[in-house]
Amino acid sequence: MKQGSREHLANHSPKKVLVIGGGIAGLSAAWELARLAIDVDIVEKGPFLGGHAIGFCCKATDECQKCGACSVTARLLEVVQEPRITVHLRSELKSVTRNSTHRYVLSQRPLYIDPDRCTNCGLCFDKCPAAGAIVRGYARSDGSLFAIDEAHCLHFKDASCRLCQDECPEQAIDLDQSARQVSGEADAIIVATGFQVFDAKARPRYGYGINRNVITALELERMLRDKAQVLRPSDNKAPKTIAFIQCVGSRDHQLHHGFCSQVCCGYAMRMAEAISHRDPGVQISIFYMDMQNCGKNFSTFYERCKEHIRFVRFMPGDLFQEEGDQVTLCYATERDGRPMKEPFDLVVLSVGIMPGASNVRLAHMLQLDLDKHGFFAFTDPMDKTTTKQDGIFLAGTAQGPKDIADSMGQAGQAAQRAAQYLGVTACLK
Amino acid sequence: MEEIPMDTTVLIIGGGWIGIKVAQELIDMGYGVVLAESGTAMGGEPSGHPWASVKKKDLTALLDSVKEADGIEILTAATLVSLTGVPGRFQARFEQGGESFERAVGAVVVALETQRVSLAEAYGLRGDENILTQSQLEHVCASGNGEAPLFGGGSKDVLFLVGLQQEGNPVVMERAIQSALQVQDNEGLQATILVGNVKLAQHGLETLYKESREKGVLYFKLRETPHIKQNGADVSISFFDNVIHDQVVLRPDVLVVEEAIRPHPQASEVAQALGIVRDGEGFLQPDNVHFLSTRSNREGIYVVGPARLPSSLAQGWKDAQNAVLEIWQLLGKGKRVVPKEKATIHRGKCTICLTCFRVCPHGAIYWDNRAVISPTACQGCGICASECPMDAIQLVDFRDDQIEDQILQGTATSVDGPQMIAFCCQNSAYEAAQMARMTGDPLPKGLKIIQVPCAGKVDVDYILTAFKAGVDGVLVLACHKDNCKSQQGNTFAQWRVEHARRMLEESGLEQERLLFATMASNMPIEFVRITKGMEDKLNQLGHNPIRKGAAA
Repeated sequence: MKQGSREHLANHSPKKVLVIGGGIAGLSAAWELARLAIDVDIVEKGPFLGGHAIGFCCKATDECQKCGACSVTARLLEVVQEPRITVHLRSELKSVTRNSTHRYVLSQRPLYIDPDRCTNCGLCFDKCPAAGAIVRGYARSDGSLFAIDEAHCLHFKDASCRLCQDECPEQAIDLDQSARQVSGEADAIIVATGFQVFDAKARPRYGYGINRNVITALELERMLRDKAQVLRPSDNKAPKTIAFIQCVGSRDHQLHHGFCSQVCCGYAMRMAEAISHRDPGVQISIFYMDMQNCGKNFSTFYERCKEHIRFVRFMPGDLFQEEGDQVTLCYATERDGRPMKEPFDLVVLSVGIMPGASNVRLAHMLQLDLDKHGFFAFTDPMDKTTTKQDGIFLAGTAQGPKDIADSMGQAGQAAQRAAQYLGVTACLK
Repeated sequence: MEEIPMDTTVLIIGGGWIGIKVAQELIDMGYGVVLAESGTAMGGEPSGHPWASVKKKDLTALLDSVKEADGIEILTAATLVSLTGVPGRFQARFEQGGESFERAVGAVVVALETQRVSLAEAYGLRGDENILTQSQLEHVCASGNGEAPLFGGGSKDVLFLVGLQQEGNPVVMERAIQSALQVQDNEGLQATILVGNVKLAQHGLETLYKESREKGVLYFKLRETPHIKQNGADVSISFFDNVIHDQVVLRPDVLVVEEAIRPHPQASEVAQALGIVRDGEGFLQPDNVHFLSTRSNREGIYVVGPARLPSSLAQGWKDAQNAVLEIWQLLGKGKRVVPKEKATIHRGKCTICLTCFRVCPHGAIYWDNRAVISPTACQGCGICASECPMDAIQLVDFRDDQIEDQILQGTATSVDGPQMIAFCCQNSAYEAAQMARMTGDPLPKGLKIIQVPCAGKVDVDYILTAFKAGVDGVLVLACHKDNCKSQQGNTFAQWRVEHARRMLEESGLEQERLLFATMASNMPIEFVRITKGMEDKLNQLGHNPIRKGAAA
């Protein structure tokens, strides 16, 4: 729900929770709290709700593969229709002071596009001359489907262009808006700031950013979502051979990433199954250390995958581009250690879940600890939502790698803890 | 809308630690609790957890506080026989020591523990004193107290078999690594783990795995089950090692065999008594993302921790907290405002055939001299309405006459190109259509979208009405298999489409004019592709002859 409209609600609860982060964990925590008649402010630094997961593709073959991406769409719609939840987009927490409540100040970058006027006609998106300056969201919400990214916009570079503002038939765009501050008070805080994707360039041997046909799994997710097919970047043709390389950035003690990202085996197998279902002619290989479980009934799923996918237990060394656009991958066979060189049309790096970029700053501001990997530290091993500060709880990948289902589960747990802390659920006593 | 009373006592099935945790949370909220345990003792060893790593003092304190609380009734050696009634007003019938009795409860939480099943037999091993299961080893380690040397001291090889007879999971893996570390701590003992995939997708496990290797635990990762020969206490295990590329033979002094984590022995009886669906492995929750984290197919019945999948205590705790939130939503302070009815049964038309009772995936229809649809339990999918042979059931929000009006409206306007009606499940295709419209992807001009609560609501009559009114093509767009919120709605829809296609054929219309497809809410591109594909097909087939006739 848009800012300002909550005041019209009758009997609204005096309790309020600040949820930092509008990804699936933040949305789920907010939704659970709102259902308990608690007011919620969501602070989201990006222009859209839904975090990483809202841009994930459906990985169904002729049956659902339980990736959970569709539940993010559903949850987002529930949140934007809920009057107790106020969403602050493009906003970041600037300061928090704690007395009996948490008084906070948010700095909010301008939206530029008035969500009340915008009809999502997409004219700005189509007409914009600068690539990436107008971005499109992935889901219906009560805001605009479009947002302006100052980093790519010509107006913010050299004031040379105002095409979108001039062309908008609804006069919904105002490039002269300035940043503002919003202050508020909350009785509890849920930290749901999510993760950042491992930067594949930090493992230079895979040649990401140099070899065009080496892409990250997140890029593959987006490609399947936007185009419903796989295309090789170099020539926009459908690849006939695809290699997934697991554990890119995860379980990497050289990089001090001594943790499993918990999602990569699942998404790699599910995307491989989805691709192979759509085009059974595509040969897919997954290079791995240890295949991790995903979802219920994993062994049946794994056996089914083995019918369509080749699993190779080897972490390939260097990749290089040979003649043509193929990427050659070097590995040794499991049986006799024979060195192999095998070309692939497309190589997908299964990049892992890394701590959020703002974790250090936020931990300092909220006086929380981070664990040795940089995720928010919990204090009770039986309840990973707990922090050393009363009234501040953790949810989702801010605390450590997890999949959509686990993030939603932990968000529910955090909401329950927050409600308990606020005394909201103890009223039968 | 009307306000109805809700019973604020909750039944918990299973007196293990997760059940006890749920009880504590509910008591904290002020709810009453009936806790039924089929065995004689509460607590015990958590089935999916290294017992050694739990703070037993904390658990004992938790159990004591629950036992002493007001408003809890603990039934041991009690078996649930049946559950009748509706969410908020269930009657649970038990048997205990030959006696049968009832309790009134508002909601049910299934917190059955799992059972550990030794895989020794699967590995071809016969019992011998130097062959232990994982649980037996944990007992040996726990009872030793570090005073006497483990396994009588001396230099011994202790070999673990993990994940070679089953895919395994992090819970099993953690227990093996913890035990291997304990063994390795004893001078002279060497722990070696033969493992398939090292399952580490759980917080802190990679760190533990690394620690164990640094402390000298050896790991061999195998792709196949090793060849095992046993002659009494003498066991030899041979396998091909992928690192040294050679055959390896090990003769361990002690062999530790993994245990599979399986559903509780009573899981199937409990599922039957409660009318809830199990997954492929027998755990008490459908394998469908819409039921996460703790919902079952029936409103008011929740499934937590080891009852729904192999899980650690911490995961069970998380489920417990999610379940009590759901219960608070359902029961609140003992009153709830619900719609008077979500679906109506026309008593004159109803012939009491009980089809609705049988097809309802949510157990929302009960019997009170006639079929009654509970507004608290009903999820409004409409499967009953479409399956009812007498057309006696109407959904309040999606009445047949309303949908038929929409069908006729769709044929009233004339457009270029074929006229098509797409019945779209509101959970998937309808949302995909909205997104496709928003992103400006061109949809066929003659496409009329009709929202249905579930594809299972699409009646053969709707399809025939559309064709009779002159529509050129009809699409029924449902959720993917295993992704239906009402479990079988998509299957019912598919059957009806197949049935209707045969009827079209018999009446001289091409079967291709009617299409069934599945999709998800985040598939706007596929929505466009499917509807455009249908438009192309209909352009080839030409207009529906019925419409041509009408025009002439």
